[in-house]
Amino acid sequence: MAEKKVSAGARQSAFLRWIYGNLTCFSQEHMQTFGYLAAMLPVVDELYDNDEDKVKALSTYRTFFNTEPQIGTMVVGLTVGLEEARANGEPLDDDTINGIRAGLMGPLAGLGDSIIVGTFIPILLGIALGLSNGGSVLGPLFYVVVWNLAMYFGMKFAFDQGYELGGSAVEALVGPQSAALRDSIVMVGTMVIGAVAATWINITTALSFQFSADSGLVLQDTLDSIYPKALNFFFVWLCWYLMTKRKMSPTVVMGLLVVVALVGVLLGFFDPGLSY
Amino acid sequence: MGISMVQAILLGLFACLASLPGMGGTTVGNYTLGRPLVGGLVVGIILGDIQTGIIVGAAIQLVYIALVTPGGTVSADVRAVTYIGIPLAILAIRAQGLDPNSEAAAGLAASLGAAVGTLGTVLFYGTATLNLVWQGIGWKAMDGGNWATIKKTIPMVDFVLPWISHIAFSFIPTVVICLAGESMVGLMKDYLPMDGVAMKTLFTVGSLLPAVGVAILCKQVVQKPLDWVTFGFGFTLAAVMGCNLIASALIAVFFALINFKVEQLKLARPAVAAAGAAFDDEEEEDI
Repeated sequence: MAEKKVSAGARQSAFLRWIYGNLTCFSQEHMQTFGYLAAMLPVVDELYDNDEDKVKALSTYRTFFNTEPQIGTMVVGLTVGLEEARANGEPLDDDTINGIRAGLMGPLAGLGDSIIVGTFIPILLGIALGLSNGGSVLGPLFYVVVWNLAMYFGMKFAFDQGYELGGSAVEALVGPQSAALRDSIVMVGTMVIGAVAATWINITTALSFQFSADSGLVLQDTLDSIYPKALNFFFVWLCWYLMTKRKMSPTVVMGLLVVVALVGVLLGFFDPGLSY
Repeated sequence: MGISMVQAILLGLFACLASLPGMGGTTVGNYTLGRPLVGGLVVGIILGDIQTGIIVGAAIQLVYIALVTPGGTVSADVRAVTYIGIPLAILAIRAQGLDPNSEAAAGLAASLGAAVGTLGTVLFYGTATLNLVWQGIGWKAMDGGNWATIKKTIPMVDFVLPWISHIAFSFIPTVVICLAGESMVGLMKDYLPMDGVAMKTLFTVGSLLPAVGVAILCKQVVQKPLDWVTFGFGFTLAAVMGCNLIASALIAVFFALINFKVEQLKLARPAVAAAGAAFDDEEEEDI
């Protein structure tokens, strides 16, 4: 049987679908998952011959995905390469692919947020603001042209690099030491997810007690002295517990969180403390 | 002078394209059309006053020059800042007869933009929540296991159906608020106060929801109770030791490397002598 290869057309289609659709169907629960599914679809469709295999392959990418989507283009390219290898009979399982995705998305998000969004955009905008003095159209036009060209070619490069890498990375992933490597990759993924839970989630309580004029208790301070961001940890664990041990669907868990939020607000446990 | 229906509709369309989960995509939508400076040009063209548009856009842009939204935590909504804030600021500047180039005009634009931006986070949560319905359709297709259906449904869910969310939470609010003018902002502030139960609950839910996403990830990687220790290690790095994600990942890779070597040695156990020799070799390499 001839070696299967993702055609340039299908790769370009996956690339364009991702760079356009990475966030179009965003929700707090699945974030970029559907953009990912939509991008992988033409690739899976081309690689596998029967429908059953196609469904099975695409189902791998049902797992939650979120990163800085522009730099994250690399991950999509990488999985295109991995999927190609898998279609050629390499024994890559879903856990390995998802371990790689989970391990990459956190650090890439950190890189993308700090380099692209936190540094590159402000620099471009700074130049553009200077050019737009007195209402000149030069400033906005400069930003539109430079930003979009840089991003298109930058993302194309990231995608192609990822694709190349996917083909070669697979050798290491399926060799005799694959179990050890897989175990280690999942370990990175788990730790990074832990760091993500501490970084991206921000759950705090506003509850405080006033015992007398000069003695009181601010619950958040007490919690922080026990274990910082303990509430993040608790809520992640709670959601995990409800989904795995109580077999609740994510939607039911979300509904439950709405109730928790409402009750918490009424009791004074939660208070975002925002004002106009 | 107010904003005409046609102008309001155009502003509404751009709001759909430019918001954070926007129909223009991330690069072209959010990061191009959603930047207040670019939006200033667009709004200026729509309202027929390009110069004022850009001046107002630039003033608001300064406030949001480094608007990073890590993990979808939104502190200000770009569609509202840009396509509601800028038109309202232009109206207000005209109404008060200010010179667009003056500091007072810039201050007015910035504060109006910020107020509208905070208000707009409601639109963000609305859009993201309504998208759950379309995603539900997608999951159902995936569960069904029929490839022809999946092939049709997934692109539909990702590219087409979210337009409905945007008509509800980008288009209509933008059109209505722009037509009503700046009095609308005060009105909404009165009816939906930030210290009211509705808004408090909304923002609390917004802070709790990312926990579901992370928990779905945990479902994937946590196989045995002890894996929570691994998770807790990463958590501690970020929460207690102040490591950012890149630093945390680097430390994680380091420990994974140790784990990999230990596992490798375990594999080589039948040939103890050989493993011992390999271990010596590695030690020398390290030096």
